[in-house]
Amino acid sequence: MHVQPSADRDSTQRMMEGKHRITGFFGSFGGRYVAEVLRKPLDELEEAFITIVPSREFQEEYQGKLRTFVGRPTPLYYAENTTRLLGGGRLYIKLEGLAATGAHKINNALGQGLLAKRMGKKRVIAETGAGQHGVAVAAVCAHLGIPCRVYMGEVDMMRQKPNVFWMERYGAEVVGVSSGSRTLKDAVNEALRDWASHPDDTFYILGSALGPSPYPDMVRTFQSVIGKETKEQLAALGLEPAALIACVGGGSNAIGFFSPYVYPGNSPYETDEQGASRPEGEKAPLLIGVEAGGMGSGIGQHAARMTGEGKVGIVQGYKSRFLLDEDGQVLPTHSVSAGLDYPGIGPELAHLGEVGRIEFTTATDKEAMEAMDFFARTEGVLFALESAHGGAAAIRLLPTFPREAVVVVNMSGRGDKDLFITAKELDRERWKEFLLREAASLGGSL
Amino acid sequence: MTADSPKKLMCHLVAGYPTMELSFQAALGMVEGGASYLEVQFPFSDPTADGPRIQEACVQALEGGFTLEKGFQLVGNLAQTFPTVPLFIMSYASLLYRRGIPWFLDQAQEAGAKGLIVPDLPFDQDEGYYQAAWDRGLHPVSVVVPTMDPGRLDQLLSFLRGHGEPYVYVALRTGITGDPTRLSDENLSFLKSLATKGLKLVAGFGISSREQVEALSPYVEAVVVGSYLVGIIREAAFPSKSSEGGKDALVKRAVAAAVSGLIQSR
Repeated sequence: MHVQPSADRDSTQRMMEGKHRITGFFGSFGGRYVAEVLRKPLDELEEAFITIVPSREFQEEYQGKLRTFVGRPTPLYYAENTTRLLGGGRLYIKLEGLAATGAHKINNALGQGLLAKRMGKKRVIAETGAGQHGVAVAAVCAHLGIPCRVYMGEVDMMRQKPNVFWMERYGAEVVGVSSGSRTLKDAVNEALRDWASHPDDTFYILGSALGPSPYPDMVRTFQSVIGKETKEQLAALGLEPAALIACVGGGSNAIGFFSPYVYPGNSPYETDEQGASRPEGEKAPLLIGVEAGGMGSGIGQHAARMTGEGKVGIVQGYKSRFLLDEDGQVLPTHSVSAGLDYPGIGPELAHLGEVGRIEFTTATDKEAMEAMDFFARTEGVLFALESAHGGAAAIRLLPTFPREAVVVVNMSGRGDKDLFITAKELDRERWKEFLLREAASLGGSL
Repeated sequence: MTADSPKKLMCHLVAGYPTMELSFQAALGMVEGGASYLEVQFPFSDPTADGPRIQEACVQALEGGFTLEKGFQLVGNLAQTFPTVPLFIMSYASLLYRRGIPWFLDQAQEAGAKGLIVPDLPFDQDEGYYQAAWDRGLHPVSVVVPTMDPGRLDQLLSFLRGHGEPYVYVALRTGITGDPTRLSDENLSFLKSLATKGLKLVAGFGISSREQVEALSPYVEAVVVGSYLVGIIREAAFPSKSSEGGKDALVKRAVAAAVSGLIQSR
């Protein structure tokens, strides 16, 4: 089914060309369902986004820092060993995790940080789940000289301790959130509260392509560098992709990676004003989003909003698909990766899934862990557990493609940060011995 | 202003906090203490517009097994017990939207609610909520803030035109419930500017003293008391030292005393 995405979905693209303002909707998803107190700050943010971000001065500064501070472009790596081993199509890996602070998150953190500075904001706040967005914001704020506070659920602080440590090294204040499920969604709630209390001097750097408008448009705009760069790198090799694969939590890496292949103006596949995504007779890449299959399909065991029991709802200021019970209460989720266990999905991805432009699948905790291990051994490339969900889908799907087909998976983050999770899963006894020895050397006892 | 102005309170409770029965007792205490209106919050797992105290109460109510069915039962019981005390349901978009706004409003109407307060369904992105409420004779209560753009406030007022004397909820300070409120000049001038618009104003956020109630009362139909009473209920339901009597009586008595303390003349 190739229903065309509605005309609204490329609103930022048109905005960049000075054609119209963003609508904040993607089909029926998105919007700005917020208490009145947040309305004015969001209006001001939208105004700044559509006037400042497209300006030449902003773009020069942003692009410059993407090179010198973030380390772009990130490599597009040909996974030759995997291709030989698995048969089928040729696998490429976009090594986005080689960006500064270890994940794609910094593309957006830098963009919003620069915007905060130009808006004259004196203080930055952010939420974080896995900690990658928090680390990126903390580094950007250190770089730009803005005080920074990061809200993080206490459960996430426990399982991503190294990232807490690094955020503090960058000078950020990390505030534990003890309410609700004590994970990412609760950190978002707390950041929204903070912003509602300090709307004048504070900029809220939201980390994923979700939340009230203009965040989904803005985050996609800053993350689209992943897809644009991939497209240029493929073109330089004379290649066109048959499929793009990305993991999906909130979905910022996926929408940034996919966007040049969905929308006209950026895509070799556009046909008309409506932005047909896959014109007749042409091959446009399959776009595959991979959700957290967790430990199974039961309530609280996964975070599959598109492939599972996700319902259309309005939560945290936007309409999309969420894991909700019959009364509209947000359900618990699970994933081995803290970055994929959010109960909602960005509204643009939900829309593109609904119209059939993006296909969704899942990978389980176990498959992700195995994929991480596989790519480390086979390619010398270390996937973050989040990104390894995409890697697992690539392993599964690659053999189904013909030999000349090019499949690109986005390694949105690298796996160093997961040491304390992967080591206890994959090398339990020796890891335990090591930790005991370390604790003893610090004078600890058990 | 003087202490002689009529002082009406809209008292807030979280349905199911600390239990369904105790939230009913708390409402009894509110009316006994002199509440003119009741605001019954249906707890939501992610209440972004509430402060930590109310959020904690919501979490506990949900852990205690709150469901929409029980919430509407509580509202129905209260409406029968106090037919002259108008009762508003406060909740979030997710709860209304999940089974359909018309379904939710039918339940609210049958239970005997006078209206609803849903902060994350603003008038210009309301999913049909306002019209569906009006069609059922329910009052959809808009929330306004002093920092609102005047043009947007005018839009809201013209949207509300033709619907009698609408209730409007004034959130008095920038931010969330539970912080101390100073009745600043800005707040008072905002209230005064609304006073001439043919609205029934209820105003709140951070009200915890008789002085605040006295200062506000001349400008509004009712003063909203929320977090303060949640704190009173918590102390009565979970006393630090053992005390005489059952929890039902304790909660009811403590709430009645707190409410009457807010409106008694000196």
